[in-house]
Amino acid sequence: MPKLGLTMTEGLLASWRVKPGDQVRAGDVLFVVETEKIATDVEAPSDGKIVSLEVAEGSIVPVGTTVATWIENVMPLDRAASSRGSFSNATRVIATPLARRLARQANIDLKAIRGSGPRGRIKARDVEIAAAQQAVLRAEADASSPAASAAPLSRQQRRPASLSETTVARRMTEAKRNIPHFYVIADADVTRLLKLREELNAAKGEIRLSLTHFVVAAVVKALKRFPDINRVWDANEIVTLDAIDIGLAVMTERGLVAPVLRNADRLGLDGIACACEELVTRARRGRLTEEDLAGGAISVSNVGMFGAAQLIPIINPGQAAILGVAAVRPVFRPDDRGQPSLRQELSLALSCDHRVLDGVSATRFLNAVAEILAQPLTLLRR
Amino acid sequence: MPELRYIRAINQALADALEADPSVILLGEDVSAAGGAFGATRGLRDRFGAERVIDTPISEAALAGAAVGAALSGLKPVLEIMFMDFTTLVMDALVNQAAKARFMFGGQRSVPLVVRTPHGGGLSAGPQHSQCLEAWFAHVPGLKVVCPADPASAYGLLRAAIADPDPVIVVENKALYATKAEVPEVLEPVPIGHAAVIRPGRDLTLVSYGGAVHTCMAAAGILANEGIEAEVVDLRSLQPWDEATVMNSLSRTHRLIVVHEAVEAFGIGAEIAARMADIGFDELDAPILRVGAPFMPVPFSKALERKYLPSADAVVQAARKVLA
Amino acid sequence: MTSSHRAALGENQMLKLYADMLLIRRVEERLGRLFADGEVPGFIHLSIGQEAVPVGVMSALTADDTIASTHRGHGHAIAKGMPLDGFFAELLGCEQGLCRGRGGSMHVADLSIGMLGANGIVGAGLSIALGSALAHQRLRRNAIAVAFFGDGALGEGLLHECLNLASLWRLPLLFVCENNGWSEFSPSAGQITFRLADLVPAYGIPYVASDGNDVVAVSTKAADIVAHVRREGPAVLECFTTRMRGHYEGDAQKYRDPAELEALAARDPIRIAKEYLRRLDVGEERLQDLLTDIDCRIEAAVAAARAGSAPDFETAKADTYTPVDLH
Repeated sequence: MPKLGLTMTEGLLASWRVKPGDQVRAGDVLFVVETEKIATDVEAPSDGKIVSLEVAEGSIVPVGTTVATWIENVMPLDRAASSRGSFSNATRVIATPLARRLARQANIDLKAIRGSGPRGRIKARDVEIAAAQQAVLRAEADASSPAASAAPLSRQQRRPASLSETTVARRMTEAKRNIPHFYVIADADVTRLLKLREELNAAKGEIRLSLTHFVVAAVVKALKRFPDINRVWDANEIVTLDAIDIGLAVMTERGLVAPVLRNADRLGLDGIACACEELVTRARRGRLTEEDLAGGAISVSNVGMFGAAQLIPIINPGQAAILGVAAVRPVFRPDDRGQPSLRQELSLALSCDHRVLDGVSATRFLNAVAEILAQPLTLLRR
Repeated sequence: MPELRYIRAINQALADALEADPSVILLGEDVSAAGGAFGATRGLRDRFGAERVIDTPISEAALAGAAVGAALSGLKPVLEIMFMDFTTLVMDALVNQAAKARFMFGGQRSVPLVVRTPHGGGLSAGPQHSQCLEAWFAHVPGLKVVCPADPASAYGLLRAAIADPDPVIVVENKALYATKAEVPEVLEPVPIGHAAVIRPGRDLTLVSYGGAVHTCMAAAGILANEGIEAEVVDLRSLQPWDEATVMNSLSRTHRLIVVHEAVEAFGIGAEIAARMADIGFDELDAPILRVGAPFMPVPFSKALERKYLPSADAVVQAARKVLA
Repeated sequence: MTSSHRAALGENQMLKLYADMLLIRRVEERLGRLFADGEVPGFIHLSIGQEAVPVGVMSALTADDTIASTHRGHGHAIAKGMPLDGFFAELLGCEQGLCRGRGGSMHVADLSIGMLGANGIVGAGLSIALGSALAHQRLRRNAIAVAFFGDGALGEGLLHECLNLASLWRLPLLFVCENNGWSEFSPSAGQITFRLADLVPAYGIPYVASDGNDVVAVSTKAADIVAHVRREGPAVLECFTTRMRGHYEGDAQKYRDPAELEALAARDPIRIAKEYLRRLDVGEERLQDLLTDIDCRIEAAVAAARAGSAPDFETAKADTYTPVDLH
């Protein structure tokens, strides 16, 4: 049982890939070891023949236990008979003797190291750096879900993340790590809003209004009522914004973006609708500028069209809140007389930055949004 | 600490040895009345008499053979060969007689003789008066070879060589004869086979002997300005040489350069490099390099000889190469 | 050879010289057989026919005197007193050999009896004896050193250096040239243009020639010249002798005239010595007893050598030089 990490004391022999009598080549996988952290293929160090297997699959044995016996070939196995090309194509690792010793001791594969010495020679320093990196990776593996990492590596498909995916990953990680999120959830009765929208959209030649447009308009109106919500945290300063700019989460082929609708309070419902559609179109065509993505204290992210019961989003970095909008669903509510009444509702979740917002103000704001949505005619007035 | 010239240290070692042991005699061309071609034996005839400080004709072969016979018959002869180039003439006596006697006669007796001889260039002495031939002797089983780099070891190694039961070739660097350095109040023999780490460093090891030790020290100074710490090992003894000290240094620095004034090809450096590549293989983080003279006779012209002799710059360049 | 020599030696002295020569002869004949049988490794140079020189010279030496020998040195070693057991064991390559099996025939040495070694290098013994004589002189011993060399060494420059130095320093050194007329496989006459008798006076050193096959002549002249060396300084004794065998055992000597080889029998030094004994009325029976005694001693030594053990490699290696304490 090889020691596959500094702290490894025992290993689970998950599966055998060879059986007694098998001829193996250097590099062939002999067996798979699972530790609490990772599953590893153990390769034959040189050519040879398996004589016997000493440990059954599923056994946990201490490091150093003999798991199989084999006969190492002094001469490479039928090297002459095999295709010479495959051997000559194999890249020889150029490394100093000390680098080789350190790699051996730290259980590091020299093939994975890029040498910094003359002609790409791997030096001791290169191995030391690789060892340090490996230690970091192990630490990260510790933090990640054991179940996920324990899945056989061979079943996974891997591809490098694109630049935009990497950017999203970095920004979201930063936001989630740096912004102390709290969440307020409310339901909005959109029965009347849906009727109003239907009537407005029935008129030909006018822009089609979506639920998102109404929500954005409601947020704009609520912000006018609660200007203290329109603020952000910036390097230990609380910045209250004059303009009412609203971010709009848009899913594109290249990933998630959140362009900002400028001076939304100056626009009517139609204007908001036009501006939103213009932003979405540009986002999907990849025509957004840096400027489109900056500013605002709050964004709206609507996944209702995909049927979500609730969406609790992550705040965009630089902003202080984001409103997650879920799907409209029919519910029975008691009316004034206590009789069931069929209503259309959706769930609103407001994620807030606790550095600039608090539960009371956020709740008041969210309730205001819900109220506005429940009485949509108010949105027709500036 | 008092200062002493290299040549005076040799003189004092000879005087102290003559004083301490009545069986010690000095032999050589012009060593007695003239006090030696380089003055190493100056004043010794007056003190110890012409019977013990013996002028000889120019008969190197017979004198070396006589040294063997005298050593087998109870004397401890110290023979001066004026230039190492002339040791070509004493090869039979040293290689076939002195080196073999102890072994060949079944250990009946050792041959306690010393040959003192100066090597090295830098004086425009030309192709027949400048050669460094120590590797020849280090290659012969039965001979011991030492090569001091400073006055204290010149004294100490010569005393140890004269006290040693076996034939010892003491190679002096004639360019060092006039150099001065501080020495301890009381000079002591320096045991044969022990190197000295004369400058500690962590980045690479410079192994050297004789005059080239000073080249290494100069190179280490230049490297230090660049933040590179070179360890300098003065071998002092070439046969036997101090494998353990070199190995110990290599284990810390992982880089080795051997520097000598002798021709690089087939030399002491080749031996040390080969041995360290063997026992020190897993410590090496760079190829072992040698810095020595090019494969050509020592030239006469100053312009030529300057280029011929291994320089501190050459050592620095080699250091950069092993650190690349 | 003069009649005074014959008159000078009594029966016991003569018997002793004869016995010493016979011992060398029988030892070398035995070695020749051992060599032919493959029991002696390497190659050996026999001095059969030259026994009168070492025996004659050594009869004039004391135990403190030292000698340096040649590659044809068995006679010098045995005449100087080297024990037979150690000698045979050495030639057979045994641990019990005087040199623990490391030197063999060409390097037999016994420093305890002043035998500074046979030598594989022609002429090398000259300077070793010179140094030994220097030691005797500087340490004020009453001893002398003897350098044996062959006429082949007359071509070596070292001879000149040594003659000059010996003369310069008035060293107690006797040069003994065993002139057998052959330089390995070539007649010395075709190689050497001078006579030693002519060369030596140039150094201011006495020169004496002797019939090297007449032990009485050699011993008598040696006695005189050794006394001179001990008293005054260096001298040269040239002994004209005969190499009755090849350069080394197994040498077919195709380069020698068969008539020359046949004529050698008449000059056999053992035969000449026997002649002296007959004149002294020493009976054949006594000589036979002597031979038997010698052969018994030789066979005992050969038997002991055959029972000897192989030398230990590591022990031998450790004797390359005195071990140095490396930390």
